[in-house]
Amino acid sequence: MDIGSLALALGLVLAVYAVVMSLVGVLRRRRDLIASAEHASYAVWGLTVIAVAHLLQLLVTHDFNVEYVASYSSSTLPLNYTITALWGGQQGSLLFWLLILTSITAVVLLQNRESNRDLMPYVTAVLMVISVFFLLMLNFITPPFQRLAFTPAEGRDLNPLLQNYWMQIHPPSLYLGYVGCAVPFAFAMAALITGKLGDIWIRTTRRWTLFAWFFLTLGNLFGAEWAYLVLGWGGYWAWDPVENAAFMPWLTCTALLHSVMIQEKKNMLKVWNMVLVILTFLLTIFGTFLTRSGVISSVHSFTESGLGPFFMGFLALMSAISIGLLIWRLPMLKSENELDSLISRESAFLFNNLVLVGIAFAVFWGTVFPVISEAVRGVKITVGPPFFNKVNAPLGLMLLFLTGVGPLIAWRRAGWKSIQRNLVPPLAVGLLSGVLLILGGMRSYWALISFPTGVFVLAGIVMEYYRGVRARQAVMGENPLRALIRLIGKNRRRYGGYIIHVGVVMAFFAITGTSLFKQEKQITLSEGQSFSMGGYTLQYQGIEQQSTPHIDYLRADVAVLENGKKIDTLKPEKRFYKKPQQPTTEVAIRSTLGADLYMVLGSFDQDTKLATLQVYINPLVSFLWYGGLVMAFGTAIVIWPGGVKSRQPAYVSRRVGERVVAD
Amino acid sequence: MRNLVTLVAFLFLGLLAGTALVTLTGAAKPRFQELEESLTCQCGCGLTVHSCNHLQCDSALPLRAEIREQMALGKSKAQILAHFVSKYGEKILSSPTTTGFNLTAWIMPFALVFLGGVFVLVTLVRWSGRRPAVTPAADQSGHPHEASPYEKILERELKDFDNS
Repeated sequence: MDIGSLALALGLVLAVYAVVMSLVGVLRRRRDLIASAEHASYAVWGLTVIAVAHLLQLLVTHDFNVEYVASYSSSTLPLNYTITALWGGQQGSLLFWLLILTSITAVVLLQNRESNRDLMPYVTAVLMVISVFFLLMLNFITPPFQRLAFTPAEGRDLNPLLQNYWMQIHPPSLYLGYVGCAVPFAFAMAALITGKLGDIWIRTTRRWTLFAWFFLTLGNLFGAEWAYLVLGWGGYWAWDPVENAAFMPWLTCTALLHSVMIQEKKNMLKVWNMVLVILTFLLTIFGTFLTRSGVISSVHSFTESGLGPFFMGFLALMSAISIGLLIWRLPMLKSENELDSLISRESAFLFNNLVLVGIAFAVFWGTVFPVISEAVRGVKITVGPPFFNKVNAPLGLMLLFLTGVGPLIAWRRAGWKSIQRNLVPPLAVGLLSGVLLILGGMRSYWALISFPTGVFVLAGIVMEYYRGVRARQAVMGENPLRALIRLIGKNRRRYGGYIIHVGVVMAFFAITGTSLFKQEKQITLSEGQSFSMGGYTLQYQGIEQQSTPHIDYLRADVAVLENGKKIDTLKPEKRFYKKPQQPTTEVAIRSTLGADLYMVLGSFDQDTKLATLQVYINPLVSFLWYGGLVMAFGTAIVIWPGGVKSRQPAYVSRRVGERVVAD
Repeated sequence: MRNLVTLVAFLFLGLLAGTALVTLTGAAKPRFQELEESLTCQCGCGLTVHSCNHLQCDSALPLRAEIREQMALGKSKAQILAHFVSKYGEKILSSPTTTGFNLTAWIMPFALVFLGGVFVLVTLVRWSGRRPAVTPAADQSGHPHEASPYEKILERELKDFDNS
């Protein structure tokens, strides 16, 4: 038996042991059993590392006797992609997920070895239950170390579409996000079971929720970047079930990040926060399931992969347990809800939650509707991009508007005067920008809503920063730069959050630009011919052909001229991978802030020497990627430890025997 | 306060109305592209016939030719789409129709958000209604109530806390 298989088998045993001992230990008040369970959890992590290391070793040494290695790599595959093959196939990706889960579990255990001791046995148990599920899959359903009866001379190679930088970082990022959502879930379950339903579990997991959100954001954007660069159809998002599967937990996680602030400030919405935590976690499992089972293309492919029914079963089990616990504790969770005023940030946040969950539902509904329709009417239908775009556009714009309103309305009670002071200036700036756009010739209805709303949000953020800096200058006498840095440093959640909102607005601008103002053209040219598009003149200058043992290349040379002067050369490629035989497209892009000039080599006719190019102008698309960077930067600020310790108001009772975890 | 609620409500309704208007009338687009985007390419890419970029696609190319044929026959958009449905089945359409059960696809998200909105509003009103009246009433000792120095300090600290 391979070391890897042995490690996984032992891991399963220890994981089950950890679950059982945690529960027995906490019920019998046996600290030694709880400690033993935690040690076992660390051991499960260690064993997973061994299994991963072994699979990596098999990949790197090209042991094609192992089915996984033969299926997803070859002797000519470059080393970095050979390593990527670790998560390139079904079994490896589940193992990789397990690695991240056990690693994060170990970190959580370490973080809490002296705090939350009443919650931790249950947290351990929940996280280990999830590990048990993945270990069961890896041991019995999709074992990664299966050997073939013979040894093939060569492997079938990693799918060429995956041999790309973005596909190297997209799954790890997304998995970190998915698994990150399990931590608040585990703590929520522990809180429900123990009845310790105050702030503690939320404060403890706040950074984990941010961590998960950070990686979910990046994971989604890396996937979009991959689609944009590799699939070559000129777009970055097609509302594919797989894309939707990663988007839905992001939406509910965003809602959660906002509504926990209300629980922290006003001790309200405990039930709703529980619902969001549970929903986000279940959506991550659902998302993992969707990407693996092909259930959406047809109900009949559900059982083909073998994993489908098990994931559904696990999903059903976790749903039943979490919802059951929630219902059981409902009386304890309901609080005396008091709002000082209808017009307050609390209200804005509730509407924010409503829209985010509404979009998540719309995406979910559209994704599963073909299955529902087939079940109800027996007729197969398609729910494609036009549906999602039409439904999500108005909802998205509502969300954008709320993003501007929320931060400008005070907590508790926003008086009419403060509304005037805070909302009117940014609204005016937004409206002004709309007028300027109309004067500038823009006539698109959607753009005239989207851009001014975005400007309104940005104006509000600038105003908040300006006022904050001025206040510091007045009180502390600091120069503007120092005031700015201190302002952010002492209030990372607020001002970091504003930065994240800037990133969100940028993303909205990109989506508006590419959805409404995209240009596309397909043209066949002979050498020397040129055409014009998007203010550029493009001249086809010839074709290069090249061959390596791994790939055959066909590369077109296209000169980009602006006002008669050559400013760039684009070289779109068509590649023919040798094993497996598969053509891919390498897009050539000239990117400016205003727009991307995006070019694909469709085909080259060896006889007529004619090349067919597909060219797109994608306005503002760079704002999406830069917006992502801004969101990441903002999140880093929010999550960074330190800053002014959030003051505990005197009226929050401190429980004996628990250390309140500092923010 | 009432003015503000009215203002926000107006903005909201205006947005909704405009949205509905535009969705129903639709932006002007070359009809061919509109038809291309209404059909799903059957090659497995999951994209509309317009977006599929496989150059020798054995589904998108024949479908585009067929669209042109149908347009040349002078048919309306609805008739052309009906032709494709009868030939390839309902799955050729890139989004659900608005008839029969398919209508639920479109309605459900908006119904949910609308009902949710009503629920949130009602809940907010209920929660803000529970608050004792903002105007200070006489306290139990019979003295006319004025903000004691402690209450002032409390208000200030609460404001600070909230703004952190």
